Amino acid sequence: MDREHIVFPILILLFAVVNGYLLAVGSLVASWSGFGVILAAGITLALYSFLYRDNPLFKLAEHLYVGVVAAYELALVWYQSILVDVINPLFRPPPDTGVNWWVIVPAGLGLFLMTRFFGRAVWLSRISFAFFVGLGAGLAIPRRVSSFVIEQIGPTISPFSQVSTDFGWAVLNPAIILIGVVSVLIYFYFSIEHKGVVGGISRVGIYFLMVSFGASFGYTVMARISLLIGRVDFLLEDWLNLNPPLF
Amino acid sequence: MIERLLNIDRRIIYLAVFLAVCIPLLIGFELPIKATPNVRAVYDTVEGLAGKSDAVVLISFDYGPSSQPELQPMALAILRHCFSRNIRVVGVTLITEAVGLAMQAFDTAAEEYGRVNGTDYAFLGFKAGGAILILNMGQDLHAAFSEDIRGVATTEMPLTRNLRSLKDFDYVVDLAAGYPGVDEWIAYGQERYRFPLGAGCTAVMAPDFFPFLQSRQLNGLIGGLAGAAEYETLVGKRALAVSGMRPQSVAHMVIIGFILLGNVVYFLHRGASRS
Repeated sequence: MDREHIVFPILILLFAVVNGYLLAVGSLVASWSGFGVILAAGITLALYSFLYRDNPLFKLAEHLYVGVVAAYELALVWYQSILVDVINPLFRPPPDTGVNWWVIVPAGLGLFLMTRFFGRAVWLSRISFAFFVGLGAGLAIPRRVSSFVIEQIGPTISPFSQVSTDFGWAVLNPAIILIGVVSVLIYFYFSIEHKGVVGGISRVGIYFLMVSFGASFGYTVMARISLLIGRVDFLLEDWLNLNPPLF
Repeated sequence: MIERLLNIDRRIIYLAVFLAVCIPLLIGFELPIKATPNVRAVYDTVEGLAGKSDAVVLISFDYGPSSQPELQPMALAILRHCFSRNIRVVGVTLITEAVGLAMQAFDTAAEEYGRVNGTDYAFLGFKAGGAILILNMGQDLHAAFSEDIRGVATTEMPLTRNLRSLKDFDYVVDLAAGYPGVDEWIAYGQERYRFPLGAGCTAVMAPDFFPFLQSRQLNGLIGGLAGAAEYETLVGKRALAVSGMRPQSVAHMVIIGFILLGNVVYFLHRGASRS
């Protein structure tokens, strides 16, 4: 018999025994909230079981998550957006304002998107897409260029403005940023062969990129461990009721 | 031996990391936590509003359960700080999954400090649109959110009655784990309506936002669980984030140990194959 076929039934049995014990000693309450904790613990363990090997428990939890999120989002969008912003202004308007007929325009554009499912009316969806693309580009291009390019140029070249006033250690950080930006830009400039001075500068750019990747990886490790801490804390405190010390 | 170490089963590493998280969580010991300037900047801005009458902070809860361990402690720490200083808080979210988490954070902090919904705080809930919603909030807050999560009209609630635009907030903090998030709040909110903006984000995202600190588009940044722990320390109410620093530090040491071991074994193996 395959080892996997033994390990997972044993784990399920162990999970059932632990829950039975927790319910028997009163650590878990036999109520909907207690059932919720058991379910959450089970799904957490099922998802982490992927670290051992892909298995049916992981698949079950994965699909359950997708289904629950889809239903949850649909309910929220219905109650908080469609009902409040479309249905109520048209069919249940406040007495002092009356029906807001303007709502028909965005609602209609939204409904046109649904025509993607109907062959003959599919052209209507192109009107909505054209509107979204035009609106999106019109809003995004100036705002993003302003925020992420123009506003960033000032701090990048600030060492030059500080040279005349206060040239000291304070200039070091902005100077490193300036060297990093220029060298990385040259590294990604492919119209000139990377040899000689250009090659040297682009090599400096590679070092800056490596430091950047290292910093990003370090932060990623920190983030993933934080998520693990969150789940382990839930398992120890809420499920097993071990009450880990805060400090 | 070297061959065996080079081909170590990855599940042994998982087990070591799991134990490195589990054991420090069960054993109580303290590690020093010192607030970094970026976290202190958010704290100082909120602290600076303490004496101001009718100060209102807007918090955008743009994260879901997948990043809850990092961002929920941050949200709680900021809410506790605001409520302890009599600062009123309005909450919104640009993503659906955050609704339950935001309500949970408001309920917990409000109960601790005896704050009243609608007067001391309000949660306006979720609206679709992302960046466009931010623009809409800047133009007309009441049009963007006509009612709060309970269905009470924002034009009638004592807290939101006189808040017409994003400009009316003394401070805006975005707690984000992706899109829409900090980028959108900078480009469509802060840049356009010129309000002080602070951010809290997952550790993965933090390096991407450092340039915005340099350009002062963000006045402070709380990065990951470590940032949340620093904020909890500043507020003086140590909770989950501070206790999470024990396993975080030990797990980091284990991972660094594995990286060093991997490199040493690699170079030993290379030296052996050359000779």
